Amino acid sequence: MEHGSIHESHASTFSLADEDHTLANSVRFALNQDPRVSFCGYSIPHPSDAKVNIRVQTTGDPANEVFKDALQDLMVMCQHVRSTFEKAVVDHKTTSESFENMSIDSK
Amino acid sequence: MDAQPEPVSYICGDCGMENTLKSGDVIQCRECGYRILYKKRTRRIVQYEAR
Amino acid sequence: MSSDTISELDAHLEEAKKRIMNMPEVPMGKLPPHLQRQRTRVFCNSDAPTNTEGIQYSGAYASMGVDNSVRLDQFIKNFKVEVIQIKHHVDGNVYDNFMEFDMIGIDAALANAFRRILISEVPTMAIEKVLIANNTSVVQDEVLSHRLGLIPISVDPRLFEYMSENDTPNEKNTIVFKLHVKCTHGRLTVRSDELMWLPNGSGFTVETDPYSDKKSKPKTYTSFSCSQDSLPEFSDNPISLTHSDIIIAKLGPKQEIELEAHAVKGIGKTHAKWSPVATAWYRMLPEVELLEEIEDQLAEELVEKCPVKVFDIEDIANGKKRATVARPRACTLCRECIRGEDWENRVALRRVKDHFIFTIESTGALPPDVLFTEAVKILEDKCERILSELS
Repeated sequence: MEHGSIHESHASTFSLADEDHTLANSVRFALNQDPRVSFCGYSIPHPSDAKVNIRVQTTGDPANEVFKDALQDLMVMCQHVRSTFEKAVVDHKTTSESFENMSIDSK
Repeated sequence: MDAQPEPVSYICGDCGMENTLKSGDVIQCRECGYRILYKKRTRRIVQYEAR
Repeated sequence: MSSDTISELDAHLEEAKKRIMNMPEVPMGKLPPHLQRQRTRVFCNSDAPTNTEGIQYSGAYASMGVDNSVRLDQFIKNFKVEVIQIKHHVDGNVYDNFMEFDMIGIDAALANAFRRILISEVPTMAIEKVLIANNTSVVQDEVLSHRLGLIPISVDPRLFEYMSENDTPNEKNTIVFKLHVKCTHGRLTVRSDELMWLPNGSGFTVETDPYSDKKSKPKTYTSFSCSQDSLPEFSDNPISLTHSDIIIAKLGPKQEIELEAHAVKGIGKTHAKWSPVATAWYRMLPEVELLEEIEDQLAEELVEKCPVKVFDIEDIANGKKRATVARPRACTLCRECIRGEDWENRVALRRVKDHFIFTIESTGALPPDVLFTEAVKILEDKCERILSELS
């Protein structure tokens, strides 16, 4: 859910249900490194409500678009992390296997 | 007294022997003399949450 | 003011500008080294750590002409993963299932998100309902159920569905185990290997109204449409528990336990029994620097000070000895080496803010490397969910 004003689209608060620090802090990080963002922060209004509010203020672009871009960036980063990780695991497994074979051969 | 005192069977806490007692009987196992006896459990299935 | 004085002033200003631009302190698109160090390192001083915050804001150094925004291509270029070790073996009672890897070039916000998801949002199967027919042991029903719930089950949760509140238990969302033990004499220790998998579902019948139709088939507590061991994913690897030697209860003579345990899919946020990891954690890479040459007596003192043997001594010319930093990765930042007079001027302890040493200990449902990829996928799903809600 987005809370903004009709006249000014450059500042909005996004209220996300069923989310916590996990997503909110990651999105805040992604937003903060975007040069179009002038302010961004998040809060959990009450610890027993599963809800976070993310505030986005931009230098002029619509906050909605900037927020969506941040989420897209986050997804691309995750995909890159996953592919890099999977490659590193495969590399490790092949090298440790060949190492094991070597030690068996030497016996 | 209106009803006949009904015998109830108990389990000995020490040796596991089944004892049948009426009201007024000495609470003691016939096998080993242990004085802690337990009532039998229901055969009905009871459901619990594993939390 | 005459035009002479104005042109004189202009010339003076030009001169000053040139001088400023040629000063070594003025960065040319780069941060001066001390600020760069504050940006990328946590300083571990003897009293307290400083510069602990991550500087994320894109315009943090705008006044110095330095762009702090991180573009995706930059992230993709700099991000690295190095697997240190993956251990997965069962050797008698010793059970190892963990991995350690380095994640380099990522912000703490993301590293922490992965850690949080690993602990509380990657699903597993765990015993949730316990149907007790008989329990004459000294362990109360409630305690027994709780103990059963915490036993890790070695089964891929991706093969199952979540069971919502008004779902009936079927072969796609429930695993049934049976436990029936009786002590004949002496003492009997009941271990987790006594739990038997029932691929056909519950064997207990629901007590029905005696006046209802007696010809109808007796109803059990589950409604499996087929046997789970006929499904291709379980036909050659039957569902079992990760550990066979977990003590469930101890029985005295003639004591008996007869029960059924129903396992369902869930996440660690609901209850810790569904957490797929024993624990998952990271630490930032320690950086140890010797600020001056430490020789002879002092070198030996330094080696002696460190409980995890970070420092070594090397021989230099004419019988002199010098301290070196041999194993900085072993440093626990106990700060013993900077305790005492003047030591803080000799040794600097720091942490690298974007280098994470990540460790995942799996409880056995999935191997640790699969758990991590699942965790990253979950963060992607979260982003996707919000994106679809916004548009």
